[in-house]
Amino acid sequence: MAAGALLTGPQLISAMESGSTYKLTILHTNDTHSRLEPFPMDGSRNQGLGGIAGRAELIKEVRAAEAQVLLLDAGDIFQGTPFFNIYKGEPEIKAMAAMGYDACTIGNHDFDAGMENLATQLTRHANFPMLVSNYDFNRTPMEGKTLPYKVFKKGKLRIGVFGLGIEGKGLIPDNLFGNTVYQDPIVRANEISSMLITQEKCDMVICLSHLGYQYKGIDKVSDEILAKQTTNIDLIIGGHTHTFFEKPLVFQNKNGDDVVVNQVGWAGIILGRLDFEFSKFSGKKLVRNHNIFVSQKTGG
Amino acid sequence: MKKYSSAILLFFFSILLQFSCHTPYRTEKLIYSNYRLSQETIKDSSTIALLKPYSEEVSRTMNDVVGTIAVSMDKAQPESALGDWMADAYLAMAKEKFKRNVDGAMMNFGGIRLTQIPAGPITRGKVFELMPFDNLLILQEMTGAQVQQLLDLIAARNGWPLAGITMEIKEKKAVNIWVGGKQLDPSATYTIANSDFVANGGDEAAFLKSIPQINIGYLMRDALFDYINTFTKAGKPITAPAANRVRYAQ
Repeated sequence: MAAGALLTGPQLISAMESGSTYKLTILHTNDTHSRLEPFPMDGSRNQGLGGIAGRAELIKEVRAAEAQVLLLDAGDIFQGTPFFNIYKGEPEIKAMAAMGYDACTIGNHDFDAGMENLATQLTRHANFPMLVSNYDFNRTPMEGKTLPYKVFKKGKLRIGVFGLGIEGKGLIPDNLFGNTVYQDPIVRANEISSMLITQEKCDMVICLSHLGYQYKGIDKVSDEILAKQTTNIDLIIGGHTHTFFEKPLVFQNKNGDDVVVNQVGWAGIILGRLDFEFSKFSGKKLVRNHNIFVSQKTGG
Repeated sequence: MKKYSSAILLFFFSILLQFSCHTPYRTEKLIYSNYRLSQETIKDSSTIALLKPYSEEVSRTMNDVVGTIAVSMDKAQPESALGDWMADAYLAMAKEKFKRNVDGAMMNFGGIRLTQIPAGPITRGKVFELMPFDNLLILQEMTGAQVQQLLDLIAARNGWPLAGITMEIKEKKAVNIWVGGKQLDPSATYTIANSDFVANGGDEAAFLKSIPQINIGYLMRDALFDYINTFTKAGKPITAPAANRVRYAQ
């Protein structure tokens, strides 16, 4: 019998599985701002766009087709439609739990109905973690309600995800930010991401950031600065500035390695999709900078 | 002999290390493909069911028409019809509700939460979407020098809509400032209507914190409703406000 000629049954399945573990599909949103229903049909530019029922269907279809999927959000889930004025975020968090979000980070507007409310909504309705690594929530109602990071096992891959919040001062009213202590996001990002590589043995590090993509003429930390001034981040999923990226952008980090940044505007008009392919990493290649080949999906 | 066994030990240890350690992978290729959610996107029925009790209540309380917009108004910098209209509403309603002279009003750009109000009937819910925050309309008495400082901040942030005040932006500073048809006098006193968010130091306006606020607990959103209602009661649609309030110096 020729070797390998009769790969059938369980053998075949296991071979297929081992192949698929080198791929990861990331679906992502940011600044959905309580836009649970599509924009109304009232003649505005955005009429008919967005809505969680369409998003949920797409997520379902992708999960059916792909073995390894991560669904992530970069903050500002709350505020923007009367749903939030009336229900303070309950349907937003319930829907995210139902759609199977794996993690989110915190946005400045997630403080809008108070930290106590945010803590309540997460405790009652979330089945996913809110990741924040640069806010010290000790002595606030959010104490113990977030994680700095989480490692997801996706087939053979270990994916480390951490979150960064924006500076509260001058943006989030003092009575809402309370005793929260903001910590330097660059310092925290370097600490967490190097720990994810060395101790947690992650193959990829993702940052969920609500810092904002870029500030022209203003000295303010942004995703662009974060990408350039850190060493171990592979992907930054951004938010806050409501920027619609035409395609993911690639920056070089402090070591000259590629960092991908993406953001999908606001209001859930776009569901971002990033399909990563991985290769086995030999230590001998360390001398060469880590580059990533980025292309648009063709043929629909 | 001793040397020999330690070499064997090292050999087995290195084999063990290879198996116990996680084999690292690295991202090599990225294929991107965004989904745009439109009317044609198929909807998940269980999500519609989840949303139903909430959306029924929102529709019941938010779908009533409060006025009519004659022309589509957009949000833009340094100024735009939508922002100017909001600033006009705050100036007019501040004068009426605080029962005193008010020299100028403004709307922080980041606080305008819709990018467009289309022509046609405007619903209660649309006003909530435009101004979802429970911010209060407050007054502050300030010197012309303090007004200059506030307008410089607005210039540095690429322009916010103003009412009662016109200015030009030159090298991130406010120049050629006119208030109520007169050039700004640094030593005169002015009454300015603003959002409590900004007056409490929001949008990096920390210098406003020390200036006392005149506060009657009047929501900015209610100012918009009251302003719309003055048109609706008069049987008139809302037209685009006069422009040329904030521009870049030539």
